[in-house]
Amino acid sequence: MSTSVSEPQAAQAIRIADVCKSYGDYQVLKNINAEVARGEVVVICGPSGSGKSTLIRTVNRLEEINSGGISFEGQNIHAAMRSSELNKLRSRIGFVFQSFNLFPHLSVVENVSMSPIRVKGVSPATAHEKALKLLDRVGLADKANSYPGQLSGGQQQRVAIARALAMEPPVMLFDEPTSALDPEMVGEVLSVMKSLAAEGMTMLCVTHEMGFARDVADRIWFIDAGEILETAPPEEFFKNPRHPRAQRFLADLRH
Amino acid sequence: MIHDFIAIIQDYWLLLLIGQYPNGPLGGLANTLILSALAIAFAFPVSILMALARLSKWWFLRWPMTALVYVTRGVPLLMLILWCYFVIPLWTGADVPSFLIMLVTLVIYQGAFLSEVVRAGIVSLGQGQMDAARALGHGYMGAMRFVILPQALYNMIPSMISTFVSTIKDTTLGYVINVPDLTFAASQVNNQLLTQPFQVFLILAVVYYILCWSLTYVANSVERRIARRRAGPRNPRLPAEAAPLKTITEQL
Ligand SMILES: Nc1ncnc2c1ncn2[C@@H]1O[C@H](COP(=O)(O)OP(=O)(O)O)[C@@H](O)[C@H]1O
Ligand SMILES: [Mg+2]
Repeated sequence: MSTSVSEPQAAQAIRIADVCKSYGDYQVLKNINAEVARGEVVVICGPSGSGKSTLIRTVNRLEEINSGGISFEGQNIHAAMRSSELNKLRSRIGFVFQSFNLFPHLSVVENVSMSPIRVKGVSPATAHEKALKLLDRVGLADKANSYPGQLSGGQQQRVAIARALAMEPPVMLFDEPTSALDPEMVGEVLSVMKSLAAEGMTMLCVTHEMGFARDVADRIWFIDAGEILETAPPEEFFKNPRHPRAQRFLADLRH
Repeated sequence: MIHDFIAIIQDYWLLLLIGQYPNGPLGGLANTLILSALAIAFAFPVSILMALARLSKWWFLRWPMTALVYVTRGVPLLMLILWCYFVIPLWTGADVPSFLIMLVTLVIYQGAFLSEVVRAGIVSLGQGQMDAARALGHGYMGAMRFVILPQALYNMIPSMISTFVSTIKDTTLGYVINVPDLTFAASQVNNQLLTQPFQVFLILAVVYYILCWSLTYVANSVERRIARRRAGPRNPRLPAEAAPLKTITEQL
């Protein structure tokens, strides 16, 4: 595994270097090289099955890779390390899933406060107070004592964002956070994401919401068949996509 | 007829309750209750450990446990009891009391059955819950403890109750290796009376029925209380009203 991706005081929050990944014979990620600067908002788009989820899940090592390395704040998260060390790194990378994955046996406020208590050792009282503040921030203070099953999809996804934020991660990853939502609930989740971006959060988002990409992203990565074919600022990407497959992807989206 | 029952209970209630104690070993209903309670208390954590071993990524945990579970589930409990009865003293070289042999056998047997339920409960949650816990920084065991097992065990409550009920019923098989339990005491009574087997064993059946029924009742009301606490449209798999019925029909 390459050690060149590990350097202290990296300017990038995330640096993906020569990452390859295969499922058996099928190569899902082909030599990916990309960077996310601190405070940057990157949107990953591309056709379904192109490897977007796989790529974003390698960033916090929910998926292993076959070669290459991914540095997070200068540390290679795919290096050989003790699991306690990996857990610590992971706890500093927020992840929001397409299917929310809230813990259904815990109340909303417990969902948000549980990991700070159990992973970081924050006192229950402090974690609870913090959780209520975060719920207020995503507009769900009144749902603190509800259970996830009692909430709408949009509300659940906002809780999931609050839960990730509770660990105070410097970086947030989103894997199609609005794809499982009814159309009328997409906006409430996107507006939470927008406000996060406005506060300077470093974000890497897989999403098909091109309006969000246009308004919020600093850069777009277009990925197809396991390769990043184009990276460009949104205005450039939407006006003049260079790669033919990016052109076709955008044309398909408009129809 | 009624008179017979009353007479038997009046004459033998102490023997049925505590066996020969204090002149002999503790027996009767007291011993049945102790054996059941210990078997359940140990089988529960053992089943979780067995399930975790079967789901482990390490073959040296997975393979032997899978073999143990398959063998245990594929053999009649009576065979297992006799086998332990002859093999455990041979291995340990000690004169192991039959109570202890019965306890070990029940823990392995019920642990194996329950472990399949635990395993199914864990697997049925899907990968998303584990992913979410790992992404927040929980280790594997932490994720199991705080996220996976609480849900898996909750969904398992009906199956657990029926396993516990069958544990109580299975203690009767200790009779074959002379565990001095309630069944043993009843058969002593029967041997003394000789002419009233129907009455004696009906009393026995009634006591077991009350025991199993009250366990089911207590466990179901606990379950309903949890369900009510989480009231709402969540968890449609476990409607509180359907649970008791499931518990009864699932008994082995
Ligand atoms: N666990 C897996 N085993 C085998 N193939 C997989 C697995 N996960 C994903 N794939 C395949 O990898 C490709 C990329 O999947 P994914 O990253 O989910 O795509 P996207 O998120 O862009 O839709 C798909 O062709 C998918 O079928
Ligand atoms: Mg995907």
